[in-house]
Amino acid sequence: MLRRILAILAGRLVAFLCRCLKKGGTSLPGFLALKLDPDLIEGLIAGYRKVIIVTGTNGKTTTTNLLASILRASGLRVVSNSEGANMPAGVATALLGQRGEVAVLEVDEGSLALVTGQVQADVVVVTNLLRDQLDRYHELEQLAEAIKIALAHTPDAALVLNADDSLVTSLGDGRSTVRYFGLARTPWSQETTREVLEGHICPHCHQPLGFKFYHYSHLGDYFCPRCSYRRPRAEYEGRGLQLKPGGTDFNLVHPGGALFLHTPMPGIYNVYNILAAAGTALYLGVEPATIVRVVASFLPGQGRAEAFNLRDRRITLMLVKNPTGMGVALRTLATGRQKMAFLLAINDLAADGRDVSWLWDADLTPLLAIPGNPIICAGLRAGDMAICLKYQGIKEADLEVIPDPAASIECLLAKPVKEALILCTYTNLAVYRRLLQHRGARSEVTPGTSLPGVS
Amino acid sequence: MKLHLGHLYPEFLNLYGDRGNVLILCRRAQWRGIQVEVTPISLGDKLVPGAYDLLFLGGGPDQEQGIASADLVAKGPWLKEAVEEGTALLAICGGYQLLGEYYRTASGETLPGVGLFAVYTEAGNKRLKGNIAIQMPELGSEHPVIGFENHSGRTFLKGSRPLGQVIYGDGNNGADGTEGARYRNAIGTYLHGPLLSKNPHLADYLLRLALRRRYGEVELSPLDDTLEMATNTAVYKRFLPTRGKW
Repeated sequence: MLRRILAILAGRLVAFLCRCLKKGGTSLPGFLALKLDPDLIEGLIAGYRKVIIVTGTNGKTTTTNLLASILRASGLRVVSNSEGANMPAGVATALLGQRGEVAVLEVDEGSLALVTGQVQADVVVVTNLLRDQLDRYHELEQLAEAIKIALAHTPDAALVLNADDSLVTSLGDGRSTVRYFGLARTPWSQETTREVLEGHICPHCHQPLGFKFYHYSHLGDYFCPRCSYRRPRAEYEGRGLQLKPGGTDFNLVHPGGALFLHTPMPGIYNVYNILAAAGTALYLGVEPATIVRVVASFLPGQGRAEAFNLRDRRITLMLVKNPTGMGVALRTLATGRQKMAFLLAINDLAADGRDVSWLWDADLTPLLAIPGNPIICAGLRAGDMAICLKYQGIKEADLEVIPDPAASIECLLAKPVKEALILCTYTNLAVYRRLLQHRGARSEVTPGTSLPGVS
Repeated sequence: MKLHLGHLYPEFLNLYGDRGNVLILCRRAQWRGIQVEVTPISLGDKLVPGAYDLLFLGGGPDQEQGIASADLVAKGPWLKEAVEEGTALLAICGGYQLLGEYYRTASGETLPGVGLFAVYTEAGNKRLKGNIAIQMPELGSEHPVIGFENHSGRTFLKGSRPLGQVIYGDGNNGADGTEGARYRNAIGTYLHGPLLSKNPHLADYLLRLALRRRYGEVELSPLDDTLEMATNTAVYKRFLPTRGKW
């Protein structure tokens, strides 16, 4: 007990010092406190009415923040690791910061077992399982297996799973309470795919799955031609999707009726984030009107398609970390635009993934669509990015390799364009955000709060 | 002049952007006015020896590799005949392991391979992963071949010669300093993903091996590889152990 009190006091002291020194501190306090008391999370979570864990490859931070916002708007005191620090240290830091009734915790898919070993979650949400940082997580089937083992620690938790992802769906096998969310066919659904396929093997009989259509990557309406395995019926289903310049409209059909939702967030991947968060909120009994209201005003966090205004330019900053995320980001933010400048800042530090082979799996078609757009490659792996683009068909005259972040931003700002897109791997995100702000760029999302720390 | 490239199991064996190598080989041939035809070869497809100048085989996740391996073992005799006739071949990671004599799993089970390379593989407990550089004197270049490896299998040479010597990294097994295997014009290697992107000297070497059977010794006109070679040097130097591994 003394150990725990010491750990809590030490953690809070470090958090206080971090605030004084204006250093993010989204992980360090929890990291040190966990050193003193490895079971700290279990102690801190006791007394919460509900604990919700959000995991998966893409969309964790947006789903977590949206769900926390919805629950807050319904009058609950919510604690959440809102800034994407999703390893146990980040979770502990958030719980050290304040007490609440409900915890909404984003947990890295690789550290899920560490958290479920200490926390009896009421709900676990799994967004998707995509090819990501293979040097850390290895193959997708192994990751799905690891998540299954982690979920066995919380046998009573309800699962909210993506019906359109066969790997995620298979996590529901043998569980007592499972709710699925999914997206019905849209005008953008495709019957074939150009993308590298993952999760296209039947989890039961290990034969290749058939697809009626794909939304993106391996997400879509799948079936096994041999056994009865197929996409389950989604209790929370997005229908009538309309993608517009100012956002997205769709109906969320659920067992109790239907909600008409409007979101200012772009892209089909955000529809999935909303389906996951709104579906979970409906499952927890939140009033539909609250969900509609929060979704209509919610904007994603820093560096998640965050728009900046600088002089007469609009610059969008976007985190990319795997091939699907990169392809979808380009499709959402670069399609249909005319003249635009691009900056691709690729690092290979531990938090980015050491291996940059994934760049060659991304669908870069939207970059090729309008020849002559300037493209600057930056970061520790600027050369790898540039070579990839050269072989995909970008003229070398349109490519510049400027590894240094500050120099690359100066080069971008010298381009005669109104719109620019910066795609960053994780460790570049805070760097480029700061560089933009130092040059007077104003975020359309959040007035400078603390930055996500590298966890 | 036309290059016939056979891409084995493109839908199953492409774990780390391996297909990038096919794109690189195509572009480097096309930029020199050589026509290219890429044929996907998959489950149940017959392989006609002599139809292809170059065969490519990537690595895959366990399940996909399992599906492909049963078919590949059945194709073994055709494949070996093609290589005996002089067809060039590049096999990466899982593809390389499948072309060896066998793979012994952690539980002691022995999975048969094609036996094209006189090598065998045993499961290891710790994954060998990270940046790697090897020396390949036959490329006639002062540049090393660099890449990234990530494998739990340990491969041992049982007669095949290695593709190269490890400068840093683990290579075949992390112990004997060898990387990959070589038999006639076939190459197997653990350097995965877009291996040829930072190694245009290796890409051109493969193209020359591939064209030799149909056209004899071919002189490839030089390309501007400034970007590729600058990146090769930068990455090579960054991970040289004397300068600190990371």
